[in-house]
Amino acid sequence: MSKIIVCFKWVKAEDDLRIDPATLNVDLSKAKGKISEYDRNAIETAKLAADASGGEAVALTYGAADAKASLKDAMSRGPKQAFWVNDQSAESADGFVTANVLASAIRKIGDYSLIICAEGAADTYAHQVGPRIGAIMDIPVISFVKEMKIEGNKLTAVRKLENSFEQVEVELPAVVTVLPEINPAPIPGLKAVLDAGKKPVTEFKIQDLELDQDDITRKTEVASFKGCSTSRKKIMFTEGDTKERVNALVAALKKEGVL
Amino acid sequence: MAGIYVYSDNSELNGELITLARTSGQEVCAMALSDADAAEIVKFGPDTIFILKGQNPIAESYTGAMAKLLTDQDASVFLVGATVRGRDIAAQVAAKVRCGLISEAGNLTFKDGAVQANRFMYGGLTEQIETGKALTAVTIPSGKYQSVKNESVKSVVVSMTVDTDPRIRLLGSSPVVKEGADLSKAKRIVCAGMGFDKKEDLKIAEDLATSMGAEVGCTRCIAEDRGWMPASTYIGISGAVVKPDLYLALGVSGQIQHTFGVRDSKVIVGINNNEKAAIFNVVDYGIVGDLYEVAPLLTEAVKNS
Amino acid sequence: MSEEDKFDVIIIGAGPAGIACAYTLAKDGRNVLVIERGTTAGSKNVTGGRFYTYALDLVEPGLWKDAALERKVTHEQIMMMDKKTSITIDYSNPSFNREGEMPQSFTILRAVFDEWFAAKAEEAGAVIACGIKVDGLIEKDGRIIGVRAGGDEMYSDLVVAADGVNSMIAREAGLVTELSGETIGVGVKEVIELPSKTIEERFHLKPGEGASLLMLGCTEGIHGGGFLYTNNESISLGCVFTPSEAAHNGRQIHDIFQDLKMHPSVYPLIEGGKTVEYGAHLVREEGYRGIPKKLYRDGLIVIGEAAGFVLNIGYTIRGIDLAIVSGVAAARAVISGKNPGPEYLDELKRIKLLPTMKAVDGYFDLLEIPRMYAAYPKVATGVFNKMYTVGTDVPVSIKKGIWSVVKENKLSLWQLAKDGIRGFRSI
Ligand SMILES: Cc1cc2nc3c(=O)[nH]c(=O)nc-3n(C[C@H](O)[C@H](O)[C@H](O)COP(=O)(O)OP(=O)(O)OC[C@H]3O[C@@H](n4cnc5c(N)ncnc54)[C@H](O)[C@@H]3O)c2cc1C
Ligand SMILES: Cc1cc2nc3c(=O)[nH]c(=O)nc-3n(C[C@H](O)[C@H](O)[C@H](O)COP(=O)(O)OP(=O)(O)OC[C@H]3O[C@@H](n4cnc5c(N)ncnc54)[C@H](O)[C@@H]3O)c2cc1C
Ligand SMILES: Nc1ncnc2c1ncn2[C@@H]1O[C@H](COP(=O)(O)O)[C@@H](O)[C@H]1O
Repeated sequence: MSKIIVCFKWVKAEDDLRIDPATLNVDLSKAKGKISEYDRNAIETAKLAADASGGEAVALTYGAADAKASLKDAMSRGPKQAFWVNDQSAESADGFVTANVLASAIRKIGDYSLIICAEGAADTYAHQVGPRIGAIMDIPVISFVKEMKIEGNKLTAVRKLENSFEQVEVELPAVVTVLPEINPAPIPGLKAVLDAGKKPVTEFKIQDLELDQDDITRKTEVASFKGCSTSRKKIMFTEGDTKERVNALVAALKKEGVL
Repeated sequence: MAGIYVYSDNSELNGELITLARTSGQEVCAMALSDADAAEIVKFGPDTIFILKGQNPIAESYTGAMAKLLTDQDASVFLVGATVRGRDIAAQVAAKVRCGLISEAGNLTFKDGAVQANRFMYGGLTEQIETGKALTAVTIPSGKYQSVKNESVKSVVVSMTVDTDPRIRLLGSSPVVKEGADLSKAKRIVCAGMGFDKKEDLKIAEDLATSMGAEVGCTRCIAEDRGWMPASTYIGISGAVVKPDLYLALGVSGQIQHTFGVRDSKVIVGINNNEKAAIFNVVDYGIVGDLYEVAPLLTEAVKNS
Repeated sequence: MSEEDKFDVIIIGAGPAGIACAYTLAKDGRNVLVIERGTTAGSKNVTGGRFYTYALDLVEPGLWKDAALERKVTHEQIMMMDKKTSITIDYSNPSFNREGEMPQSFTILRAVFDEWFAAKAEEAGAVIACGIKVDGLIEKDGRIIGVRAGGDEMYSDLVVAADGVNSMIAREAGLVTELSGETIGVGVKEVIELPSKTIEERFHLKPGEGASLLMLGCTEGIHGGGFLYTNNESISLGCVFTPSEAAHNGRQIHDIFQDLKMHPSVYPLIEGGKTVEYGAHLVREEGYRGIPKKLYRDGLIVIGEAAGFVLNIGYTIRGIDLAIVSGVAAARAVISGKNPGPEYLDELKRIKLLPTMKAVDGYFDLLEIPRMYAAYPKVATGVFNKMYTVGTDVPVSIKKGIWSVVKENKLSLWQLAKDGIRGFRSI
């Protein structure tokens, strides 16, 4: 049975980022991990596509040791097995490295008909890994897909562009990057969560993949990483009843000259 | 010839990119996929225009040809407009020439053959500066740079027939009907979030907007998940980025991906019934309260003032 | 039903009670499932954050050494306060923390502690399913045989309700009725981050040492009090009180808590810190009297705070240790092979949980005296005010001073005597 491989990323929850207001230094160390929001929609899409076309949905991630926690979560959303490229380098990888690693892992997994990525990851939101994978593997890419259908060996999709919807078709195998609205991502139920614990996980090391040093060396350098400053007045109207609060707000807006 | 290579499927953006590329002092070469596109680009005065002529009407099928051109010409930077197509093309080309891609970049500078730019991470909570030493691809969103016409340069036009990827077939295209307000020019915006229980209730936001001469915008959830408002009216990192004098959020939680899009507003106001809502961290003025109670009172108060 | 869907024991709730039970059972090779509605164990839990170590030792000797604990408590403090002033008593007893021995108690952060404990149980073989709420029990011929969650059903020989205060499961099983406003407190808590050095300076602690500070008089006469615990790099500050009384006084929980934070004796302790967590939670207040008449049914056992095992006795709140102890008791009952329900009750007695709760039962009466929460702290601070005010005026005699303060606070000798007797009886 050919595989539908969905790539998902274990990202740091932005709510847990600590930004020092004075230095704008960012502390990621306390942040919990989560499956990037839109990757959950991608996983659901892979599951539905597998159900409809008779393929096997499998999940693939490239992440450091803490991404282990993501595998069960991902599989509870439908995929029958998970593949994990476990390497610390994931934390500092750019789109170039990430796509190289994922493409090699996909080759190793083999027998695939479709590769699904989300439009963008919650941390980078760079919109590049999916199209890069297609280019590296020399298979066609359909990006920013809001609807798709598989019939036999043919995939038809609707892409959302700025001013139009574009209908395209392609022969499989292909890469699609999906918009979150393609499918809502339901919260997994108890049985799905329990089943996930029994599904197989395959762990790869970077060394297991056919990659040379250049393939896993970032192309751009990060010169600085800082929090964005947000300095707002934060005046809360708490005195009096609602009407008085509203009046105080209107007065303040008048004074600002924006009403 | 070495230099900055520019491509966008959007002609306005082409102007912005070419003008930006000029600041490098390097050769500026534009790519066009048709004579008609080239005729638009010529107004911005690139040194060279390469017209790539192929079979497939989909721009994304030219990535192989573009990659080859960059390699053959020993390009130093590939600047691409960050449209839907542009993002896809930049990523595929970057993979093909094995280079880095700084996507949706700002504050771009060229120095000593390197390029440096900022980009937002974590939905706009953080910002990083990336540098590329060798050939680097960069995508730039529209509206970040000025577009300056320059008819004094006589662009050299090079036309070439190229192979395009035949594997993706275009079946058709339907225009998105433009609905809703143009938020980019609005002076005041009332934004509706998921605090609204049903579509009809959006009238409350509309009434408030009318009272203060504002346009109505919304969060992504309201547009994409609920489908209550057109996609062009949602604000945020993946939607519209606005800078009104007044932005007033009703029932918006204030997640970073949304508030990113209103950061440059002069005054930000939040109304939310949860005092711990993140929106209150980024407002100038806030009222903790039920929008169903506060907004109508506010409409009245604005009318009476 | 297929073998796939059947467990030896299903535990509802991955709080300390549920995990202790799961860990003990899993170590014995039982097939255990824990279902937790929070996205991780501990993610929904609000606790002051003080933990008595003996309970972990009961689960497994030495387990505490490996546990995700914050600071060992070396300073026990009680602060009596009125609006502006305060008196603090600081008790330290080295015998609680002898070199090389298990310290008596630690401060903890529940999100961290629970996650550690859950990971331990998982290592031991328990299955923990997070992010899933149990909707109800499955009953057959009067016996509980499983649970419903989402659209799914899951079966087991025994269901353990460890779903905390106001247990929906115990109510559904008919073991308890709805909690009433008078017998339940509501707690709010913030975790405020500060560098460990700052914390150590402000509380005069050595690295690894911690303070536990209880506050009386901060709830404006409402039955309740405040607490402050020092963690490694944060402070847990909160207060607990009876919501029905607060509503009566027209005060919002939030306002009272804000005033506590801003109190001149409290603010300097948290100054410059960043609030990184905020939560509100219920807590039982009746102690022994709050324990339901029946703690089990055929196929079901109730443990932890769901079973009323919490002591809120003014100078300390104990729920976590009792939860763990009751979890161990339930597990032992299962392992014994006897009828788990009655055996569980016997275990609770053997393990001294019920006797402990009974012994301190009287505190409930003491804590019921409304004057505990406003007048008496005010008298105390008032007396100290008289004692420590030095100026050009002739000081009043201490006796006179006390008396005038008592009168200022509209207390009568009769009340004092009555409360004194009641207080003495209750302890
Ligand atoms: C990669 C990525 C990109 C994204 N891009 C965008 C983007 O461009 N734009 C965008 O908007 N989102 C974007 N999102 C989604 C974003 O993270 C939030 O989920 C979204 O903005 C939340 O929308 P909301 O505030 O309407 O809804 P909610 O988060 O559900 O908030 C509703 C709020 O209403 C309040 N409320 C409820 N009832 C009432 C009442 N009666 N009165 C007053 N208040 C009430 C609630 O307290 C709550 O705070 C993106 C997410 C990701 C991961
Ligand atoms: C403000 C405050 C301060 C406190 N301070 C202290 C202190 O310093 N020291 C101390 O020892 N005790 C303290 N306590 C008491 C202590 O927190 C509790 O007694 C203790 O947590 C009880 O443990 P438990 O395992 O029984 O329940 P909980 O810790 O409440 O765990 C119950 C679990 O069940 C889950 N759950 C509930 N319903 C369902 C369902 N239907 N399906 C699935 N999962 C469900 C919940 O999400 C939760 O994780 C304090 C309490 C409060 C409110
Ligand atoms: N480390 C990773 N592991 C697996 N998939 C990834 C990884 N990084 C990115 N992806 C996939 O590529 C998409 C786009 O990522 P990005 O280009 O970084 O915005 C994500 O939504 C995922 O589907």
